[in-house]
Amino acid sequence: MDTVGTNEIEKRKRLQHYEVLRELGDCYTTVGNYAQAHRCYEKAASIGPDEPGPYVGLGAAALQTGRCEDAEIAFRVACRLDPNCAKAYTGLAMVAQQRKEYSASFDLYMKSLELDSDNITALLGLFQVSCEMASFAKVIYYLQVYLQMHPGDVSVMFALAALYFKDGRPEESLRMLQDLLALEPANKDARNLLEEVEHGLVRAG
Amino acid sequence: MCEGSLQNPPPISPDGRGRCGPLVSILLPTYNRCRYLPYALASAAGQTYRNLEIFVVNDGGHDVRDIVHSFNDPRIHLIDRRENRGKPHSLNEALGRARGKYIAYLDDDDVHYPHHVQVLVDALEGPTDCQVAYSDLYKTYCHVRSDGTREIRSKHVEISRDFDRFMMLYFNHVLHVSLMHRRDLLDRTGLYNEDLSILIDWDMTRRLAFFSDFHHTHVITGEFYSPLEESDRISVQRRKDSREYLRNVLAIRTTHPPKPWDKLDELSVILLVDRLDQSVAQTCGCLWRHTFYPYRLYLPLVPSDISRLNSEMPNVAPIAVDPRSSPAERVDVALQSVEGSYVAILPGTLPIEEMWVENPLHALIHTVPDREGFLLENAGPDRWGAVLKRVDLQRARSASPHLSVEASLTASGVRIRRPRQEELPFQFDTLLHQARMAEADGDWAVAARVFEHMAAHHHNELWMKSLAAGAHFDAGNHVEAGRLSRQVNQVRPTVETLLLEAKVRRRRRDFEAAIRLLQQAERGLRDSLPAPVRVPVTGSQGQYEN
Repeated sequence: MDTVGTNEIEKRKRLQHYEVLRELGDCYTTVGNYAQAHRCYEKAASIGPDEPGPYVGLGAAALQTGRCEDAEIAFRVACRLDPNCAKAYTGLAMVAQQRKEYSASFDLYMKSLELDSDNITALLGLFQVSCEMASFAKVIYYLQVYLQMHPGDVSVMFALAALYFKDGRPEESLRMLQDLLALEPANKDARNLLEEVEHGLVRAG
Repeated sequence: MCEGSLQNPPPISPDGRGRCGPLVSILLPTYNRCRYLPYALASAAGQTYRNLEIFVVNDGGHDVRDIVHSFNDPRIHLIDRRENRGKPHSLNEALGRARGKYIAYLDDDDVHYPHHVQVLVDALEGPTDCQVAYSDLYKTYCHVRSDGTREIRSKHVEISRDFDRFMMLYFNHVLHVSLMHRRDLLDRTGLYNEDLSILIDWDMTRRLAFFSDFHHTHVITGEFYSPLEESDRISVQRRKDSREYLRNVLAIRTTHPPKPWDKLDELSVILLVDRLDQSVAQTCGCLWRHTFYPYRLYLPLVPSDISRLNSEMPNVAPIAVDPRSSPAERVDVALQSVEGSYVAILPGTLPIEEMWVENPLHALIHTVPDREGFLLENAGPDRWGAVLKRVDLQRARSASPHLSVEASLTASGVRIRRPRQEELPFQFDTLLHQARMAEADGDWAVAARVFEHMAAHHHNELWMKSLAAGAHFDAGNHVEAGRLSRQVNQVRPTVETLLLEAKVRRRRRDFEAAIRLLQQAERGLRDSLPAPVRVPVTGSQGQYEN
């Protein structure tokens, strides 16, 4: 019998230690303990040499400590192990972004979102790069798709409202900000932007 | 009075108060596993419970003298045999020299954690009638590197089954390496069966179950290794031979220890046939293959047929009857000889299949008052057969000897019916199978519900809660996964449940708690292999230098 369930059980037999180390690495990364994260990811990579996860983690830890070259190498290994690894492309995009290579970064974020349109890190990275490049159409599309799947995500709502405004669509920006403030009335950034949008609409008026 | 010899170090309990516990004999047979033996032996010698004698039996394999002598521990005894005679012979040889009140077992490629013996001694010395106890073990999946060393990939408590005598008669659910029993029980069970090539452990645990309940302590006290690649275990290799496997199963099922049995009542099967012919031989063969409950077959036959009967058939008692006697009269004659508390009346025409008698017998043993019996599987009006208590049958036959068996039972108020679903054996196993199938189909929510139901109603609570937690997580129900894994971890954390709770905590952004849980899980994975013992450090307990 070869079913999803039995494959999953088989995988657990093989990869439990790997999973513990990878989870631990992810937790250490989140709390900013990059040295421990690095140790865990390296060990995880030795146990699961065919898994891209630890290399993505190693890349993320390197990126956070300003080691762009190490990060790029790790993300490239992850891409080689799994050409459909969205997180690895996000990592490469972040490396390019740090190097101010916005065009390359934009393409890599796009590639990542093609593989996983749910990737919030790539989405917000794309937003930042788009702002640097003043190119908004594509990122607006992806943010809209994301919001359809996650309707209450205020960080994405704010980014989209800002992009609408920058792209000369103040009415859509206004609606988005009103929706956002209905969910989170105390959001200062949204209030400030709303004030700016309303002011612009009055002036255009 | 301490049972240890003068040679042994004074028994010291882990609490340091010098409590003298009974002597425990650990049996460690080995065959060509020099790479792993030092780890196994280190784990035995490193027990916190000190009043031990350890028998290493080299079953004609590579020389292990250097390994054993390197421990320099007077409690370790080497039985060094040049001839390979198999594991049962090795165990019997060690038992012949063992003096412990209790016997424990260790395989040469497995390890006990330092508290293993103490946990089981405490269980058996505590307020219990059990003379046998067992703990839980990790099944440790490992990758065997080209140099033979093991790289641990995962640890799972795959079996944590509470003792179930009916199951034990059907198949083993207790790992031998986790077992401890009183040595004097062997006077009643007999020694290991040296004719068996596999299932040696089950043969012994099955026989132990005739005389004692087993105390299940839910503490993880060791681990046994399972290579992810092809296993080198001799038993695994031999099980691939299906004919040999069946031969061993049948030998185990048909071999009974001497009576009296403290915990089991024999089943007497009265087979009703006209003459001894080919069909009787077939029925006997079916009985042999499809009956796991200990039985004795009573065969009422005319004297001329008895002389033709194969006398080598196990557990068969021919009963001489008049050729003109009716089936009821044959039952009456047989009843004068039967010893078992339960009697099955089996018509010769009844098809014998798995569970033919165990289903109704389980209902009879566990769920009904007197004056109730149960129809055999496949029995009906045209081929009536039933299992009932001997006293009920004897009472009915005495009262109405002129009636048929069925009519006499009715006349004496014995009700015969089919068992209800909930009265059948292996309810737990049936549900477990259903849940496993749901998991295999990716239907995690259904599996989780079944596991939770089992935890609530079918014992094995920790085990079932662990499985339910995993299934809930896979179903995306992280709240329940977190709740159940936390419950388990508060009682008996395992690598699996620690990882599960950590994943849930991480998703709730409780990173500090997740890290603590994952560190604990990692320690559990990493610290499994004790360093091989080299030289004991004087005055320390269970601490050695490499």
